[in-house]
Amino acid sequence: MAYNKKKIYDETASLIVDLCVRGRLNSEEMHFLLNLLDMSVLQRDNSGLFAILKVWLKGENDEEIDAIVKATLLAIDFSNQKSLQTNTELIKGLIAEKYTT
Amino acid sequence: MSLNVAISDQISDEYLFDLESERRVLSSMLHSEDACIESYHSLLASDFYAPRHATVFELTCSLFEREIRPTYVELLKEGHTLGVFTNPRDIEELKYIAEQYIDDENIKYWIQKVKDKSKLRKFIDFLKGSFQIIEEEPDADVEQILMAAEEKLTNLTALEIDDHIDTPEELAKTGYDEVERRFRRFMEIKEIHKGVLPLDGLTTGFDNLNHLTLGYKPGDLIILGAQTGHGKTAFALHTAKAIAVEHRKNILYLNTEMSREQIALRWGAILSGIEHDRIRTGDITNTELSIILNGYSRLSESGFYSYPCPNLTPEKTISIARKFKTQKQIDMMIIDYVGRMEKQDPKLQEWQILEQIVKTQKLLAQNLKIAVMCLVQLNPDGSLQGAKRMKNECDLMLKMSPIPREELEDNEDLKKYLNPNYYIYVDKNRDGRSGVRIPITFDLQKQSMKDAERVAP
Repeated sequence: MAYNKKKIYDETASLIVDLCVRGRLNSEEMHFLLNLLDMSVLQRDNSGLFAILKVWLKGENDEEIDAIVKATLLAIDFSNQKSLQTNTELIKGLIAEKYTT
Repeated sequence: MSLNVAISDQISDEYLFDLESERRVLSSMLHSEDACIESYHSLLASDFYAPRHATVFELTCSLFEREIRPTYVELLKEGHTLGVFTNPRDIEELKYIAEQYIDDENIKYWIQKVKDKSKLRKFIDFLKGSFQIIEEEPDADVEQILMAAEEKLTNLTALEIDDHIDTPEELAKTGYDEVERRFRRFMEIKEIHKGVLPLDGLTTGFDNLNHLTLGYKPGDLIILGAQTGHGKTAFALHTAKAIAVEHRKNILYLNTEMSREQIALRWGAILSGIEHDRIRTGDITNTELSIILNGYSRLSESGFYSYPCPNLTPEKTISIARKFKTQKQIDMMIIDYVGRMEKQDPKLQEWQILEQIVKTQKLLAQNLKIAVMCLVQLNPDGSLQGAKRMKNECDLMLKMSPIPREELEDNEDLKKYLNPNYYIYVDKNRDGRSGVRIPITFDLQKQSMKDAERVAP
């Protein structure tokens, strides 16, 4: 791994855990973000999850749907490709619903 | 001033640890799988001076053992789940460790630095411990203190595994040298020895076994199994007779069961051919007495060094073997027998202890370039506890057992021999044929063994 990439990876991981030990993130949120980081830096994600997350972040706020999206994200088992794909599809559907309503 | 304080005062802390090297090794483990494998196989948690570093190493190894790639993220998750990293300072410290990046190819250099400091600390502990004994027990037996110190010091340096990886050039050269040596030997056999194979190592004391094995070679671990009362010690002393008395090579014999008087009396029978029972009771004639004395004079000129040691431990075998290798240039060590060695950890199963002992002896044989023979006890059904693991470690596994009466009567092959009564079964032979049974004649009373003689055609 290149120096800069290592540095960003380590800084980000430390920041996520630091936020957790300071009580700003709960344990579930921390695990999700760390898994996401590992996936983006080490695993070269093919699931389309990142693309769909970008769409979600750019969209308008919708408290109810956002809460469901978040709960779905936290339920992803990153070690299980099927869980990753199913939940990504689910979120895609939720976001589509958000724009049609 | 106490001597212990004096040692601590005279040695600056910077000589005893190298935190930078420790951090660099850990960082590399988290960023490179190759570095992780190298460190996992080379270091122990106790090699790290800083307790936090030892913890990070243990967590990383634990992930690796569970086949989870030990990334920094996985380490953080693991530590958080186990409650090891619970406050911002812990995370700050971990981040500092993780950021001590190195080029992955330099990992061996940093590992060596960590290992060196770890050894140095153990050496200082050894010195302090030795001073403490002198201070606290001024009347202690000096010989005992020196022996114990020697054993501890030996363990600091002994049993370094040879982890050199051969380059293609080195391997090709080794192969070429080996083939050339064998080619020259083959020519020699044809021209000088008239077709009789010369041995590569020490004689086994049996022609047929010599033929199969080409002798006990330096670095070989030989395991000989027999049931209780079926000639383990007789086999060991027969080997010793062939090597140390007849060929005047030096060997060290460690006996965990018998006193020096018992061993000496056995030699009387072996070297005189007079029954052991009669020698023990003194029921011998004047002529026999002089035959026995003649036998002992051969023993006194031999290379047989005996060490009766009822509380033998694997560590003691290392220390004593190294001492004798240096002082007497021994070519072989025989341990009679490993089942009687002291247990270091009472929680371990019998087979686990035997496996540990056997592994230690194999490393010892290789490090000292001597042959090591371990005698083990077979179960009543002829099997051996932990046999598979032992078999993996050793170069030659032999089992000695009486030939059943029915087989003596029915087996046509055995009828070609005069008085065969025991088999030596070659269960494993790294350098040659295995699964072979060699019939021998074992005279329990005279404690003598020999290849079973063939009946004249």
